[in-house]
Amino acid sequence: MASKASPRASEGSPAAPSLEAWEVFRQEKDGDPMRHGGSVMAPDADLAMHYARELFGRRQESVRLWIVRRADIVDLHDPDLLQPPLDRSFKKPGGYVMRDKLAAARAAAGQAKPKARSR
Amino acid sequence: MTVAGGQPARTRATAPVPHVEGLDELLRSMADDEFVIGFSDSEWTGIAPLLEEDIAMSSLAQDELGHAQALYGLLAEVTGAADADTLAYDREPADYRHARLLDHGRGDWAMTIARRYLYETSDAVRLAALAQASWRPLAELVGKLVREERYHLMHVGLWLERLATTGGEPRDRLLAALGMLGPDSGTVFTPLPGEAALLEAGILARPMVELERDWRVGVAARFEGLRLPGLPPTQDPARGRTDHGAAFVWLHGEFTMVRRSDPAATW
Repeated sequence: MASKASPRASEGSPAAPSLEAWEVFRQEKDGDPMRHGGSVMAPDADLAMHYARELFGRRQESVRLWIVRRADIVDLHDPDLLQPPLDRSFKKPGGYVMRDKLAAARAAAGQAKPKARSR
Repeated sequence: MTVAGGQPARTRATAPVPHVEGLDELLRSMADDEFVIGFSDSEWTGIAPLLEEDIAMSSLAQDELGHAQALYGLLAEVTGAADADTLAYDREPADYRHARLLDHGRGDWAMTIARRYLYETSDAVRLAALAQASWRPLAELVGKLVREERYHLMHVGLWLERLATTGGEPRDRLLAALGMLGPDSGTVFTPLPGEAALLEAGILARPMVELERDWRVGVAARFEGLRLPGLPPTQDPARGRTDHGAAFVWLHGEFTMVRRSDPAATW
């Protein structure tokens, strides 16, 4: 869908300008992270900004938008780099799973699991 | 709490309506302008050149209808009319006071952009002359309208530039549209009945003829940059907001159709 046409290709030319895809990120309120909202098709950055405003901001649902030409995004989608075939569970931040060991220890000591603190 | 007493009125309800001749004419002309252009442009919903623009133009049109509703609300306070809907829908075509610039029917995309550009730039000059209006509810509303109209000006300005700088059919159609609208382009500044009283009361900052002069200077500069021909003087300027033609009678039939189908219904 995203054409690779130069953004200036349409200047002064009667040919129909080609549309490109722009990805839109939105912030719902100050301090929130920018989250991907969706995309718009537009012939240039100015209209992409206007259309992003209409699709992701006209109902006051955003305080900030980032509009990024899809072609400018560095796309990494490579299973050798992202989904290596060997077990990598030791690299995960979860560490050792204590739940089952704790439950067994409580059962041995005859203790109930403490309730979540209410306040 | 009164405005005259030097104490700022905080809410609309506490600001008494000043008895100024022409205030109703001013509000009616502004509200009718916004209503008619909003309704005309909403005709693009579903058929605009691309989906994103369809949403953008429909959203702009809705904004204008919202502005019309707010202005009709103030007009109802001034005239004692029941509500905004009564003013928007229950009048005969001859009682509408929008500018003749808006009487050309939807037309093609270039016509829509040309008309909107001429109207938005005129409206911006008019709003600036009302920003300090001595009737606080009007000044407050104008402040809000100006903030929304900023985006309208950006959007239509971008399209004007695209059409003007893209040779061939886009520029040709734009030139044809400007040729048709040209003699009516200044009609937003048609002098109002009671204008002297509005100036006297500090509601309108400057007379319409002066506002038109400023507007023409601004548009001429923009057109020169885009190598577009200058605008001709207004034709039949005294009747710039009356004697609406067949195109408006048709439009009026469209926008009152549902209301007329059951005048007593609660919608």
